Amino acid sequence: MKTIFAAAFLAASFASADTVIEGHVELPKTKSTPVMAKRYDIVTKGGVLSTNPPVAVVYLEGSFAAPSKAQVRQIVQKDYLFHPSLLPVQVGTRVEFPNQDDAYHNVFSFSPAKRFDLGRYRPEDKPVPSQVFDKAGMITLRCDIHEHMRGIILVLDTPHFVVSGTNGSFKLTGLPAGSFKLKAWINSRKTLEQTVHLIEGSTTKVHFP
Amino acid sequence: MISRHAICAILLAMTPVISHGEDVLDRVEEALTFSGFDDQVRVRFSGLLSLEYYHHDQSATNLIFSDADNFLNPRLSLFFDAQLGPQVYLFAQSRVDRGFDPADHDAEMRLDEWAVRWTPWGDGRLSVQAGQFSTIVGNYIERHLAWENPFITPPLIYDQITAIYDAEAPGSASVFAEGITDEKYDYNPVVWGPAYTSGLSVSGQLGKFDYAAEFKNAGLSSRPESWSVTNVRFDHPTISARIGYRPDLAWKFGISASEGAYFTDHAAGDLPSGSGLNDYKQKVLAQDVSFAWRHWQFWAEVYEARFEVPYTGNADTVGYYLEAKYKFAPQLFGALRWNQMFFGDIPNGQGGTQPWGRDTWQLDTAVTYRMTPHMQMKLQYSLQHQSQLADAYTHLLAAQFTVRF
Repeated sequence: MKTIFAAAFLAASFASADTVIEGHVELPKTKSTPVMAKRYDIVTKGGVLSTNPPVAVVYLEGSFAAPSKAQVRQIVQKDYLFHPSLLPVQVGTRVEFPNQDDAYHNVFSFSPAKRFDLGRYRPEDKPVPSQVFDKAGMITLRCDIHEHMRGIILVLDTPHFVVSGTNGSFKLTGLPAGSFKLKAWINSRKTLEQTVHLIEGSTTKVHFP
Repeated sequence: MISRHAICAILLAMTPVISHGEDVLDRVEEALTFSGFDDQVRVRFSGLLSLEYYHHDQSATNLIFSDADNFLNPRLSLFFDAQLGPQVYLFAQSRVDRGFDPADHDAEMRLDEWAVRWTPWGDGRLSVQAGQFSTIVGNYIERHLAWENPFITPPLIYDQITAIYDAEAPGSASVFAEGITDEKYDYNPVVWGPAYTSGLSVSGQLGKFDYAAEFKNAGLSSRPESWSVTNVRFDHPTISARIGYRPDLAWKFGISASEGAYFTDHAAGDLPSGSGLNDYKQKVLAQDVSFAWRHWQFWAEVYEARFEVPYTGNADTVGYYLEAKYKFAPQLFGALRWNQMFFGDIPNGQGGTQPWGRDTWQLDTAVTYRMTPHMQMKLQYSLQHQSQLADAYTHLLAAQFTVRF
């Protein structure tokens, strides 16, 4: 019984010691409403493509250790869209691109941070085509077959990042103490930043207007 | 020479645009997309701006209409795509250029395509479309625009002029046997490019099979002036159908058939007494296959076409091509195409027979470099050989710079 109480006390101590930033980012009103060009398709399926409301990526800039274990994330091609349409990853992360549509896709990027072209592959082809993102920067994903498809991978030099909610709220947990730059990536043309002084075990409130 | 300098000047002037082009043109794309009614109505305007350069060592080949050895062909294609709820899709294409096919005529603006499509179910089993739009025959149409086409010119079967003259019927077998004697534009190919004729189509997918059928105002060989319903009504329609089989995503097989009158009303007075336009038809049977996997794409089509010619009988031709494309790098791809057309024998009016066209082969090679997702530069070299000609070989060198927005 004493052991259980001790474990609970320790857990509570660690929880209360967590250094946190929470706050809000003012998001743009515009949202992505893709229109699929079907002019020369013999087979057309009814339906409207889903929309992507704007979100932000909030991240802490600084010198942090590289992850001890290689990370793997996924961007799925489904219903003729990339899911998620915005994915932040740390430098060195492998991203897989499974195709879950009953149609070919051809994911490619001409972005300077990573140029690649996966070609056309079937959903059942293994291994799932992937890329390692080893340079920080913004990578715009496109499909060579479906012009409307867009996705973004934000490759960051930090393990401390989070995607905001669609209402702009965010919460970063497990942060180190110290002075850092906190950035909010809104889109390819707009990144906001603030200096934050983090005290161990405390919660810092930040608002990006 | 002036043409070459002009191309260099334009490309140099565009250098700063190219370096920042991706983001700027992405923003243009966003600015030209609109939505309303809780995103159930969406509209997008887009376009292709192309500048083509052609150099011929002899007279221009196929559907290229210029007497100059070197000439520039600018073109602006504007597209409109709209999704109205889950079932209705509309599209249109308008072009500003110097003629539907590369030509050195005066500038003109046309509405080349427009259609409304109704798709009642979400599984793709049925779509009904009405308007002026490309044919369902074959598999070339899906890549006929400048951005998707690995080449600058179409396959030979969509490009090679034959002795068929849709506005005037030959007065005798010997006249038809003389072949192409008037202006090249007076004559018709087996399929005139994408054949944006007017009418109605149904199409859909049933398991691994897809189907399509269309009822159009003009035939596959008809010229662009015949495509609009304001010029040619449905008095002499063409009916076409296609069945496709797709065992998996990589392979597609198709078989198409088409039948319809090919003469225009202008030829009605030349026809043998007692016969009408519907007595002289173009009949086509086409087979196609395509394959795609990773960085490879492959297409092939075989067309067997028959024209029923007054005083002559049947003028038959067979044409095919094999086309391959390979991406060497994310921004660089090359393509190779082998085309051939063979012409059957017809009576020559002097008791004998002779082919009604020159058997032709054509080798096309092309390389494309995409500077950004919105800009590409394409170079093509084609070597053509026609039988029965003293100067049997012709060379075509072409370049095409395209901006997509």
